[in-house]
Amino acid sequence: MSNAASQTSTGSLGRLIRRYPFLPALIILILLLALNGIFEPRSLSFRSMTGLISTYMALMMLAVAQTYVVFSGDIDLSAGSIVSLVNVSVIVLMQKWGGDGFAVIAACLAGALIGLACGLINGIVVAGLRLQAIVATFATSIFFTGLALTVLPVAGTPAPEAYWTTYGGRFLGVPFVFYAVAAVAILLAILMRMRLTTQMLAVGDDQQAAFQSGLPVTAIRIKGYVFCGLFAALAALCITGDTASGDPLVGGKMTLYSVAAVVLGGSALAGGFGTVTGSLIGALIIGLINALVFFVGTPSEWQNFVQGLAILLALMTGILVSRGARA
Amino acid sequence: MSADALSSKSTGNAVLAFLKKPLVVALILIVLLLVVGEWLSPGFASPGQILRLLIVAALLGIVAAGQNLVILGGREGIDLSVGGIVSLAAILAGNVMNGADGGILPAILVCILVGGLFGLINGVGVTVLRIPPLVMTLGMLGVLQGLLVVIRNGIPSGRAAPGLSDFVVKPFLLGLPGIIWLWLLIGLAMAFLLRRTVFGYRVYAIGSNEQAAFMAGVPVKTIRVALFMLSGVFAAIAGMCLLGYSGSSFANVGEQYMLPSIIAVVLGGTPLSGGKGGYTGTMAGAVLLVLLQSILTTVHIDEAGRQMVFGATLVALMLFYGRAKAMRG
Amino acid sequence: MSELIVRGARKAYGATVALSRGDLHLRPGEVHVLIGSNGSGKSTLCKIVAGSVKPDAGDVLLDGKPVTIDGPRAARALGIGIFYQELSLAARRTVAENILLPAMPVKGGIFVDRTELEERTARIIAEFQDVAGEGFAADVTVDRLRADQRQLVEIMKALASEAPILIFDEPTSALDRAQVDRFFEILRRLKQEGRAMVFISHRMDEIFSIGDRVTVIRDGATVASSAIAETNADEVIRQMVGEREALSAESKPPVPAAADEPVLSVANLNGAGFRDVSFTVGKGEILGFGGLHGQGQSSVLRAIFGALAHNAGTIEVGGRACAARTPAEAIRNGIAYVSGDRGRDGTLIGRPILENVTPIHFLRNRLHLARPGALTALADGPLKALKTKFQDIGQPVNSLSGGNQQKVVIARWLIDRPAILLLDDPTKGIDLAAKADLFQLIRSLAAEGMGIVLYSSEDAELLANADRILVFNSGVVTRELQGEDRTRYNLYHAAYEAA
Repeated sequence: MSNAASQTSTGSLGRLIRRYPFLPALIILILLLALNGIFEPRSLSFRSMTGLISTYMALMMLAVAQTYVVFSGDIDLSAGSIVSLVNVSVIVLMQKWGGDGFAVIAACLAGALIGLACGLINGIVVAGLRLQAIVATFATSIFFTGLALTVLPVAGTPAPEAYWTTYGGRFLGVPFVFYAVAAVAILLAILMRMRLTTQMLAVGDDQQAAFQSGLPVTAIRIKGYVFCGLFAALAALCITGDTASGDPLVGGKMTLYSVAAVVLGGSALAGGFGTVTGSLIGALIIGLINALVFFVGTPSEWQNFVQGLAILLALMTGILVSRGARA
Repeated sequence: MSADALSSKSTGNAVLAFLKKPLVVALILIVLLLVVGEWLSPGFASPGQILRLLIVAALLGIVAAGQNLVILGGREGIDLSVGGIVSLAAILAGNVMNGADGGILPAILVCILVGGLFGLINGVGVTVLRIPPLVMTLGMLGVLQGLLVVIRNGIPSGRAAPGLSDFVVKPFLLGLPGIIWLWLLIGLAMAFLLRRTVFGYRVYAIGSNEQAAFMAGVPVKTIRVALFMLSGVFAAIAGMCLLGYSGSSFANVGEQYMLPSIIAVVLGGTPLSGGKGGYTGTMAGAVLLVLLQSILTTVHIDEAGRQMVFGATLVALMLFYGRAKAMRG
Repeated sequence: MSELIVRGARKAYGATVALSRGDLHLRPGEVHVLIGSNGSGKSTLCKIVAGSVKPDAGDVLLDGKPVTIDGPRAARALGIGIFYQELSLAARRTVAENILLPAMPVKGGIFVDRTELEERTARIIAEFQDVAGEGFAADVTVDRLRADQRQLVEIMKALASEAPILIFDEPTSALDRAQVDRFFEILRRLKQEGRAMVFISHRMDEIFSIGDRVTVIRDGATVASSAIAETNADEVIRQMVGEREALSAESKPPVPAAADEPVLSVANLNGAGFRDVSFTVGKGEILGFGGLHGQGQSSVLRAIFGALAHNAGTIEVGGRACAARTPAEAIRNGIAYVSGDRGRDGTLIGRPILENVTPIHFLRNRLHLARPGALTALADGPLKALKTKFQDIGQPVNSLSGGNQQKVVIARWLIDRPAILLLDDPTKGIDLAAKADLFQLIRSLAAEGMGIVLYSSEDAELLANADRILVFNSGVVTRELQGEDRTRYNLYHAAYEAA
């Protein structure tokens, strides 16, 4: 039993966190930035930040993708394999269509369509056929990986120069990735105000209740997967810009990180509660942890372990803090 | 089996209900796949081949035993860290025994201790700190993968003792290798644990309604921690057997068991929501999964095509099992 | 103006027939009471009309024209709104979002129109604002609300549909008197507007105060339908229970409490929702907890049982201090607790009856092995003593009716007799026949010397069964009624004073 004073203090903090669920994540992010700055002052330079964002842009997009299914209480373990499939498809198409600016744009559009299609398949399999999301999307991930291997059996085909110079380049003195970030921010701000977002969260909260309220639950969940597919495709475009080549297995490792980023961002995996902003922050936290582990001079063989441990601790802290504040 | 299928039409609902049981579906599919396999590539269903399949299935099945327990306990129970624990146990066991039979016993002890320890940490995180199992074990997987890099660095990786390899691949009793007997023993032990002990009753109780179980005096947290520990121990045992199977361990060998162990449980009729199902079905699920993979390798299509067929078949198989109820009943 | 006719609606779940022949004739401008014991098929009938349950057979006619209602959306389009007994709220969404969730106002085709959302919900909330209680506001998430407040949100959600046909499936079960009165005022206004309403409640007084017509359902079939003015409570009850014996439990003669032999003594107990609660329960005594619902009765019982923390005070069982921190500790000390919310606290859903009856036996005897044969034999006695109806002890508990499920939950406490039985509104939502079986058993347990605390939200149950009644108000015991004082008037009076 807590006393009245502490109740009011957690009360106001609780209100703040209920309103901005990503607040604990933001604090962790700022803390990590500060630590990075202390151990390696240059890491806070404009150049390093640009590098960080262009490297982790793909994970940020994939975290957003994952968020849209997590909203309605689902999960997509195939998100990474969609990234792989779109990556190799875009690379192969760009090469086939000549590699000029037009080909690049056409291939990107085709990539987005492929992502949408994969999302639609997932949505139909999970929501339409009513299979359990974890196992069903694992099965589709095997399928998508197979497809990616068909498109490009071995890693290596390079992206046209026009593509990666744009992604890594500057416009009017500002790095391209910042435009990309701004565009995505605007897009997300629009999506946040959509009725669909509220409906997804209501479905994630209590599916049966949402159905009884007259919401088209299956359609809403399928839309969540379609959004996921679309943002996974955007993640693939980012990773293509970053690595400048095709790799049929490039996204495999990213799936679980995307789930971790969503949780770090303060969203509830069970659905019904969360924000995309949080997931973006969550992805950056993972990036900053990796950078920090490097900057503090961890011996190379220990780096993975320390990163893993730090991410686990961040996950736990985030959950404990936001729960404590909400209670 | 075709006789079964025919008689079901004549004797109606009871038989139909029987045929809808996950275990029965899995067994029918297993026989069906064997027949198809034999037809596609003669010799597929030969005793020697089936034995090889069973050894691979046993490895998966042992991991799935722990996974099964954690899932039965409900509250979104799932253990993603098994992949890491299998790898870790394989490396540790190799380093401890380093090719000498005398090292087998210490290796077993080390593996069980380590598996149990990580399971304990998972369990404490999930119960005391109330971290969702998926998140906790996902984070733990990252830690374990990092630990693998640390251990692998500097120390040359050890080899399996001949005794361990013989246990896994050489016939031991009635022409079956020791690992098959071990698996059967685990199957019996699991059945006993779940159906004839208070612990088992309590596992189902917390999986079905945790709050009600708590109100009926069930030590919910203790049980759940125990489930995660058992999962760690089973994964560690599987990791050791895997070392015996392959002779020496290589990086992240265990990862291939992480999600398949969950699939085996689901194909065996235990829904991810917990509180329902059992291990017999999971054993059949593991055999089914391994059989499916192996049948695809006998067909002459490339790796890419194989994966596509495998993924699509899994989706199709799941249609037989635990589909969520329609919202409009 | 809408007239709704349901004819021969039927719904079976596997072998269990939930509704065999549901008939209903709902006219514009009436409040039509639907009554029947639990599991009789009322809710199923309502859900068929609301589109959330798919009937196996039957016709629905709306204004004379046959219609098919193939989902909740279709029902809404036809002008049917519903209050769900189990509520249909999204816990993390705000009150406002929940009220308009079925038809979120939209601008620009895809965006939520916040202004419109606020305006429309403000109007609806205003009707209940003064009775909704502390902490109720449009922008509060539903998970921050009390049970009665959530029920109000569900009411508002149904009202917001502005449907000509409104179905209320037990909308008042958690509401207090003032809230019910306000709700009834609104129903009367809607009636004048010509809307047709179905109203389900187990409280006779409510039924006769608001209803115009009453339809009785028994064992899945509509058995009678008449104007309220032409019937009375006794007749309705007879129709509900059929040819069975009259169920009115004879009023219990006050037994002198064996105060010299207290089995449970509670002194100055404090905790969340109650303070300074002191009482003793003698051997063989039934102590009643009364008052408006949610005045701390339930919290006190849960605190004694170790399911809720208490921060001051002493609890003694049979003269020994027993401050249980978990239910397991309390159980080992001979305390039993039966919750009215069996879906949450009681049944192990999906598990066999046997597994539902055995957990207490395991704990009290510190068993490690479970022998189904021996356990079945042990479970048989208590299940029979409660007249539990089931085919096979291996069948899942949720295949039974609500009343029988509750009997299974109670049976788990009777294999090894506890010294103290805490009953926390144990008959909530169970049918009259099961209630009668239950109280018969409770009285015989008391006669055998068990100390019993009974909290009931139904005054009649308390008056008929309790030797003494403590009336709770805002977490404090405000009055003790004994002997001749145990009258309905005194109970009401004590419950409402200073409230």
